[in-house]
Amino acid sequence: MKNCDQFRDMFEAYALGALDAPERAALEAHLTTGCPECSKSVDEARWLVSQLHYLAPEATPSDMLKGRLMQTIREEARSAPRFVPPKSNIPFWMWAGVAALFLATIYSAWNAQRLTREIQRADQIAAAILQHRHELETQLEDAKREAAILVDPASVKIALASPDPQAPPLEAIWHSNLGIVLSGQKVPAPARDRVLQLWLIPKTPGGKPIPSLTLRPDADGKFVLLVSNPPELMAATKALAITEEPPGGSLAPTTPLLWVGGVS
Amino acid sequence: MRALSLHPVLDLCRILLQEAKNLSPLFLAAFMPTTNSEVSPDATLVSRLIQKDVSAFEQLYDRHSRAIYGLVLRILQQAGMAEEVVQDIFLQLWRNAAQYDSSRGSFVPWLFTLARNRALDTLRLKSERQRRHEDQVDELPPVAAAPEYEKVLDEKRRAIKVRALMSSLNPQQKRAIELAYFEGLSHSEIAAALKEPLGTVKSWIRNGLLRLKEELQAAS
Repeated sequence: MKNCDQFRDMFEAYALGALDAPERAALEAHLTTGCPECSKSVDEARWLVSQLHYLAPEATPSDMLKGRLMQTIREEARSAPRFVPPKSNIPFWMWAGVAALFLATIYSAWNAQRLTREIQRADQIAAAILQHRHELETQLEDAKREAAILVDPASVKIALASPDPQAPPLEAIWHSNLGIVLSGQKVPAPARDRVLQLWLIPKTPGGKPIPSLTLRPDADGKFVLLVSNPPELMAATKALAITEEPPGGSLAPTTPLLWVGGVS
Repeated sequence: MRALSLHPVLDLCRILLQEAKNLSPLFLAAFMPTTNSEVSPDATLVSRLIQKDVSAFEQLYDRHSRAIYGLVLRILQQAGMAEEVVQDIFLQLWRNAAQYDSSRGSFVPWLFTLARNRALDTLRLKSERQRRHEDQVDELPPVAAAPEYEKVLDEKRRAIKVRALMSSLNPQQKRAIELAYFEGLSHSEIAAALKEPLGTVKSWIRNGLLRLKEELQAAS
């Protein structure tokens, strides 16, 4: 810093070109050391000194000067090689390779997305098919079981009658091992938000009705209900009954019995 | 998707960016977004001048020839010689524009420093004095680092400030600065010309320039 202090008063005079030779030589020797502070100060002083040009009044040079200059410039421009931006060291084949790689990347990404979407669609279709197959298998199993119940001589036929003389009778066939098949035809549909529910009335004195499955007849009043696992043994059941209940059924009958049939 | 590695692409992009940094500022400027407030008309014209754009040269001449000629005429006091020097200055600008480093400072101060140097060199030859920088005749001056307030204070207001400040100096102090700037005299030569002590001349010049700096800063 002390070395710089001796030059502090010289920057403006140096930029102005007013320093005498010994001082100028000393400052220039110091600047060659690369002193950043002094170099910056000299740069700033140069700018300040350049502002003194405003002291000179503007004057118009002759038109001939411009004419001479423009003639020389045009001649030199014609003979000079045109400016071309500096060439990159990267060869053309590398640019082409990058472009190809870039395009391949974009195509791969697009293709992968397309394949992913197709796989997802195929997965959804397969799941739907499996679900449908499972339903069909379940229906087939139920149908087989219903058929077995219906044809097996060990099954017991139970007729369910209604206090309403207009209501058609229902029929239940109960196999002690395979379950109950309950069916009916031309059964009046329950209210829109109601279902029919099957109850097993136990033989036990004072025993409460045991809830079983619910059903809704189709548009023709026809239905077939398979109860694969009745909630009570046939031997312990006194009767089967049907009531009208809210969707999902109830734990205990909430309406009067619509059909009742004794289990013999 | 995971199986496809993007690393080769990223590596190549890194190489390309590294390569781009090695390109000239001019080439990069063509691809860099800039705002009008950042790029002066002169900077744009100089960029075109480097590409040997005759129209850009003509525009630069029209913008600055009167002030340059005024400065050179003030130094040389002879119209014919002043025109020859102005012609040399603009030819040098045309041929060596690429040497102007726009990142270091503004174009106008650099151009006027170039003009003053050429005019003073001619003056010294004319008076058969020893040229101080005989080996640097064709060299361009270094670019002066512009202070922040250069952008705030436009040229017209700066000109008014400079003239007002110089008018406010005592006549001897003003004369000392003019002898240094327009005639290229050293401290000792000025002291001899004005018959004043060397220390006084040094103080006049330095204090005058520091006052000018303060005035310009205050005005911005």
